[in-house]
Amino acid sequence: MAGTLNMTDRRRLAMLLTPAYLWLLIAVFLPLAAMLFFSFLTKMPQDGPDWAITLDNYSAFLTNPTYGTLLIKSLQLGMIVSVICVIIGYPCALVLAKSIKGRAREALFLMVILPFWSNSLVRIFSWAIVLRGNGVLELTLNAVLPFDLNLNLMFTTHAVVIGLVHSYLPYVILTSYLALQAIDDDLIDAARSMGASKLTILRRLLLPLSLPGLLAGVVLVFVPVVGSFMEPRILGGRMGTYYGTLIEDQFVAVYNWPLGAALSFILLAVVLVILAVASPVLKGART
Amino acid sequence: MKITLIAAATLTLGALTAQADEIRVLNWQGYGTDLNWATDAFAQSTGHTVVHEYFNSEQEMLTKLRTNPGAYDVVMINAVFTPQAIEEGLIAPIDVTTLANYSGIPAAFANDPKLVNDGAVYGVPWTWGLTSFAINTQAFDSAPASIQALWDPVHAGRISIRDDALEAMQIGALATGQDINDITDLDAVTAKLAELMPQLRTFWSSENDWNQYMAAGEMDAATYWSGSAARSAAMGLPVQFVVPEEGAIGWLDGLSIPATSRHTEAASLFIDWMIDPAFYVQWDAEGAPASANADAAAALPDDAFNKVVLGDPSIMERVHFQDATSPETREQYLQIWQTLKAAQ
Amino acid sequence: MTGGLLALVGRIWLVAILIFLYAPILVMALMSFNASPFYQLPFEFTWRWYQDLSGNAQIATAAIRSVLIAWVTTLIATALGTAASIALFRYDFRGKRVLQILLFPPIAIPWLITGTAMLTFFFAIGIGRGTPAVIIGHVALALPYVIVTVTARLASFDITLEEAARAMGANTWTVLTRVTLPWISPGIVAGALFAFAVSFDQFVVSYFLSEPGDTTLPVLIYTAIRKGFTPEINAVSTIIITISMAIMFIAARYSKIGGNN
Repeated sequence: MAGTLNMTDRRRLAMLLTPAYLWLLIAVFLPLAAMLFFSFLTKMPQDGPDWAITLDNYSAFLTNPTYGTLLIKSLQLGMIVSVICVIIGYPCALVLAKSIKGRAREALFLMVILPFWSNSLVRIFSWAIVLRGNGVLELTLNAVLPFDLNLNLMFTTHAVVIGLVHSYLPYVILTSYLALQAIDDDLIDAARSMGASKLTILRRLLLPLSLPGLLAGVVLVFVPVVGSFMEPRILGGRMGTYYGTLIEDQFVAVYNWPLGAALSFILLAVVLVILAVASPVLKGART
Repeated sequence: MKITLIAAATLTLGALTAQADEIRVLNWQGYGTDLNWATDAFAQSTGHTVVHEYFNSEQEMLTKLRTNPGAYDVVMINAVFTPQAIEEGLIAPIDVTTLANYSGIPAAFANDPKLVNDGAVYGVPWTWGLTSFAINTQAFDSAPASIQALWDPVHAGRISIRDDALEAMQIGALATGQDINDITDLDAVTAKLAELMPQLRTFWSSENDWNQYMAAGEMDAATYWSGSAARSAAMGLPVQFVVPEEGAIGWLDGLSIPATSRHTEAASLFIDWMIDPAFYVQWDAEGAPASANADAAAALPDDAFNKVVLGDPSIMERVHFQDATSPETREQYLQIWQTLKAAQ
Repeated sequence: MTGGLLALVGRIWLVAILIFLYAPILVMALMSFNASPFYQLPFEFTWRWYQDLSGNAQIATAAIRSVLIAWVTTLIATALGTAASIALFRYDFRGKRVLQILLFPPIAIPWLITGTAMLTFFFAIGIGRGTPAVIIGHVALALPYVIVTVTARLASFDITLEEAARAMGANTWTVLTRVTLPWISPGIVAGALFAFAVSFDQFVVSYFLSEPGDTTLPVLIYTAIRKGFTPEINAVSTIIITISMAIMFIAARYSKIGGNN
């Protein structure tokens, strides 16, 4: 892979890249650029001719402590959900990639994604039916257990975490699986024949080699969870106010798009900074 | 879509004399105009078919009107927002002389300054109702007389209010004895709402939430709309609507014709059908808000909620109708509300 | 890996995760047979919601529209996304980091905001509303997911395989179709499945960009919560997931989507 490309390679590169990025340019980047512009306005141009340029929407973040508090709360939520997804998802991918063979594996691989093909609102409402007082979970546990249990999970932060882990777990499982499955079994056999223990193989061989996949999964979980609003709102009850619901209110309840947009771009900036700081640290863990 | 095409085709054959239009209605989903039997009956008698588009907030409705000229023929607007729609030139005056049922609308509604501008009518009063609270009759021996019941520690963790800044602030205004349209002591309302927060099980945001939480036994009492409470009761939930001594918030919904509509004749016919007593009586049987047409209200059976409760003059005295709220006030209320929620 | 006990624990873990993933799906299906319109327990069997559904052309039309849009989105997003991933993997060039970072905004910024931005922009440049606009939006939202997934698979691809094939006289096209694509096919399949999921569940873009009357299933569900959605929604969701499951099992039966090994 040379730093400078010859003409043929350049043409191929352009051919491969242009369609996707041109599409993204028209449908995402330019609209978001327009939104970025709106975030510096006093009001939307469509709502009246008396708009002006301002920094107020950004300074609102600094002057109103509610925004900062909720952003931290959302970042914590993103980290908790990501960590749980890794802890339960990575072993699952490991089993799928290295312990199960043949047709069963293909079927299981597909079964992990299938729940995603249902509507997220319907899924969240189903969780509400499971978690609420006297809901499916309590009824099931009380039917099995000899004593009565009152979990009362609904409308708590736990309910929000459960709902979000459920929604985003498949990302971690599948990206980890894709990386793990690509590791040659001969490598593992060789390591074993040299006397490496299972833990050593996992720590020195499987984990470093599958790290890019695992990290891709973590990013696909952490990034959207920080801005999520539907799960917190429905499952969190009065505990369910997060940064995402704040933005949603600006767009849906008062239609203050400039402020909502400013809050979104602050979110984006913070997430990008976190990823930039975290990526060398995480990549460094390879050796 | 196929269905509407076939329906349109058969109707064109059936009603050769009249020109068949497709009118587009912008409204909340499940709010009267989209009842299948009602649009079917309308198509049968006029030949015009009805297609719906829905909105999820009044602000969104205004944006849709601004950005989609010509897309809609009838729009349902909460009277509080009608002056803004008139001012922006989004809706056109309606020739009410062509509406056979308009005469049944009492002057108090028909001459509402929010709907009339320079003597021209921009909104036909359609329905009205109350925002107050409803109780789970299994959790109360008798209906409470005061809104302070929501703050009663007996019901701690079993109360719910809608996740809406304006509504929350106005409920707080009622509870602190203030004018809902001119809250002078915001700190008192904020403090009162802060006391309410620990009482709450959750916020609700739609009729769907409300019914499910009530059916699952999650709440003792929750703020609600009169028409929705009637509908929930009609569906068998143990629900009773309460108009406390402190009063209730009143709202009025009107039907308007967008300035860019190309089917104003058919739109007028549809609006006339929507205020027709025959339509309203059948709608009310399924649970409806109160009709703004006195003739329609009078045509209800004597035991109907909308006749018994909302027809009671002693209750009407306690209703405070909402005025228009400026965007600045809304933003200010939202800030207070978000701070209260974030403190949880 | 051998080791009887460890393999057993692993399998139990996998089954536990699958139960967790399918719990709400199972509840969703159960509730489509439950008589209470408010999802009340205890359970009481009924066919009513399926009967109601057969008379509800609106839901059926919306469901079919959603599936068609999701199919088109998946095809386009997978093709474009895979091409871009290969380019990002194979070539080093100035601005590559920027292109990779640019994939984050559509994932990080809540769809509500991206959808609103699309609405305003599409009107400004004259794309307007309608099914083409909806598909343009869906593909754009699905693309980053495809690229990230395929790239995750490519990261483990041994570039010397391509060089070896080329050394044996294979041309670029043959190398691509015989060496590279087969190797990354599990990543492409996973990316396609995500793309389908993104489109099939996407209500914001469809909500803003559909023509009045042309609703999709998520939009119908989203607007229905105001009035209250009935278990009919569960019934249609159950039918869709059952059909999807059948298609997937057939696909798993006749192809090697999990990757060779």
